[in-house]
Amino acid sequence: MRLKLRKLLDRALTTCGYLAIGGMALFLLWVLVPVFTKGFGAYVFRGTVEHRRMMVGEFGRGDLDRLRAELAEVLRVRETVYQAVAAFERELDAMPAARRKALKPAFREVREGVSVLLGPEPGAPMPALTRRLYGQTRWEKAREKADDILFEETWVYSDAGSRRVLVPRAPQFEGTALAPVFTSLERDLAAMLRPRITVYPRFLTDRSIDAHFFGGIGPEVLGTLYLSLGALLVAVPLGIVAAVYFQEYAKEGPRVAFLRSCVNTLAGVPSVVFGLFGLAFFINTLHVSPGKSVLAGALTLALLVLPTVIRASEEAIAAVPRAYKEGAMALGAGRFRTVATVILPAALPGILTGIVISMGRAAGETAPIIFTAAVSVGQMVKPSEVLSQPTPALSWNLYNLCTEHEAVDELRHVQFGMAATLVLIVLALNLAAILLRARIARRLKG
Amino acid sequence: MNQNVVMSVVLGISVVSAHAQGKLVMDGSTTVGPIAKAFAETYMRQNPGVNITVSESGSGNGAKALLNGTCDIANLSRHLKESEKKAMSEKGVKPVAHVVAFDALPVIVHPSNRVKGLTVDQIRDIYTGKITNWKEIGGGDQRIVVISRDTNSGTFETFKELVLGNDSKIVASAEYTGSNGGVRQRVQMTKGAIGYAGLGFVDRSVKALEVNGVVPSAESVIAKQYPISRELYMFTNGEPAADSLAAKLLSMSRTEKGREIIEEIGYVPVPGK
Repeated sequence: MRLKLRKLLDRALTTCGYLAIGGMALFLLWVLVPVFTKGFGAYVFRGTVEHRRMMVGEFGRGDLDRLRAELAEVLRVRETVYQAVAAFERELDAMPAARRKALKPAFREVREGVSVLLGPEPGAPMPALTRRLYGQTRWEKAREKADDILFEETWVYSDAGSRRVLVPRAPQFEGTALAPVFTSLERDLAAMLRPRITVYPRFLTDRSIDAHFFGGIGPEVLGTLYLSLGALLVAVPLGIVAAVYFQEYAKEGPRVAFLRSCVNTLAGVPSVVFGLFGLAFFINTLHVSPGKSVLAGALTLALLVLPTVIRASEEAIAAVPRAYKEGAMALGAGRFRTVATVILPAALPGILTGIVISMGRAAGETAPIIFTAAVSVGQMVKPSEVLSQPTPALSWNLYNLCTEHEAVDELRHVQFGMAATLVLIVLALNLAAILLRARIARRLKG
Repeated sequence: MNQNVVMSVVLGISVVSAHAQGKLVMDGSTTVGPIAKAFAETYMRQNPGVNITVSESGSGNGAKALLNGTCDIANLSRHLKESEKKAMSEKGVKPVAHVVAFDALPVIVHPSNRVKGLTVDQIRDIYTGKITNWKEIGGGDQRIVVISRDTNSGTFETFKELVLGNDSKIVASAEYTGSNGGVRQRVQMTKGAIGYAGLGFVDRSVKALEVNGVVPSAESVIAKQYPISRELYMFTNGEPAADSLAAKLLSMSRTEKGREIIEEIGYVPVPGK
């Protein structure tokens, strides 16, 4: 009986473990699959002729002659729309006032919609904002914008609740000069924009154009690398020295116990506190830079990852067999020599793992860099400018694009592209840690 | 054309090394943010080699950054408070206000809401908790979800001054959101919500209400009819030198291109001379 119960309990525990692991895996899938599939859409998508026009216009990339030929054909199809809009504008002026007043707001929306969809009409004055210089560069967005022209969104209110209704605009303009716009948009949208599968790997390295409407996330990726590398540059030497002190030099006692609990507390401090501390200490008190900078951000992040580096290094050092140390001592090596030539090399795989994991942490943190390093718009920072220049960074700009940006809904593909890139960078770092560890461990054994 | 690009690149870099003017830091309001970002991008497009950075951390933080000397231009969607002016004069910072545009604060609701307009008094009653259900003011039977900007923002200060009056307290159940875009998204996703944001942030995903019978628009702001209107500022420490990057950027708001940019974003440019 008791044996049965024990077996049952045992099995229950195993089941719970499997369930927990399975739940975690499901959750990961649930989060990561959409991030990757949608993020992939920033790199590979159905690009329209407007995308190719933008690439030539902004980056000087692409086949100019081919684009010219393509544009000529596209413009021929679009001509119907442009002509109908111009003709209707004249017709509107001649209409009786009541009818003009009824149709004018809808016409304005259609005209605006056409300009958003296809870009400014050839010969029209150039818009001031780059985002208005080109039409829709992505096919799925173009179809959305075409629907905005074809249908008017209205709401039917009732006591039971309101209902969204899409009313076609065409009947309103039946028999006017504007009517061809609707038929030709419905029939020839593809011919007007020529969608084509487009691979855009340089999304990763291109600068952004007009607050991320076009271009890539190069400055953000670069900023993230600067910040996380900079954080390690500061945290690793400090962390390893601290770990060696704790493991090899310090005598256990109240003082060391106190220092240890300091490190543990540092690990538990919320990251936004680090951010505010970084602003108050590094920027406003020490003046390490005139304002926000990569340096100030890296220093703040270094504090954040310091406990991780210390703990990982301590564990690695503690795991070095005693015999190594005794052997070195027996051969007459001093304490420093033992640490430098025997213990640290043997502990290296563990230390490196800690370092790479902290780098992933530093790359993903947002709160510590809001006040110390991150900006929403900025050029790529040159290595010579890191001491004084703030930078965009993936984590912060992802937040900025999702909440603060004036056109959040227009930039979903950039947001997912950033998220996927950030997750991939962190995953790649973790993978590198695993491989590195395995490799060094093998070498040490051999 | 290539020659031109090469020339401007060379020129840009030589300017940087000669006068160290290749860099400008802007911080502050999320309302002024789109203008600042567009100005920065336009300027950098014409002057490669220059790096202008823009942060959007709220008007309050913009004023603090100017006080601490950590930014060259502070974007504020309100004027400086007395306390800020005092702190600045104690630190020897001489704030100079530059009006870059006019803005209105449209009061926005979910498009499914049947209410078309409210009076300023009704809006005050909603935000102070006297009106809690849409059916009290002609809407459906739905609890009102009050969305406000955080108290660090200039948008909040404006709203408080022009709508609430200085002694009124916002209802405790109100949600505070850290940016204009955030307010818009929250309202767009919540059926009973009411919020307010700058003109440049309001699109078709939300419904802007008439206030005292006036539709918020560029026209009603210029005609001074819309009751919740304001000026948008950029502050510098002292008048910037005429050939400085800050002066050039600030003067953009008076150029034709700058005014077009402001208009295309959705704000109201300052009338020409």
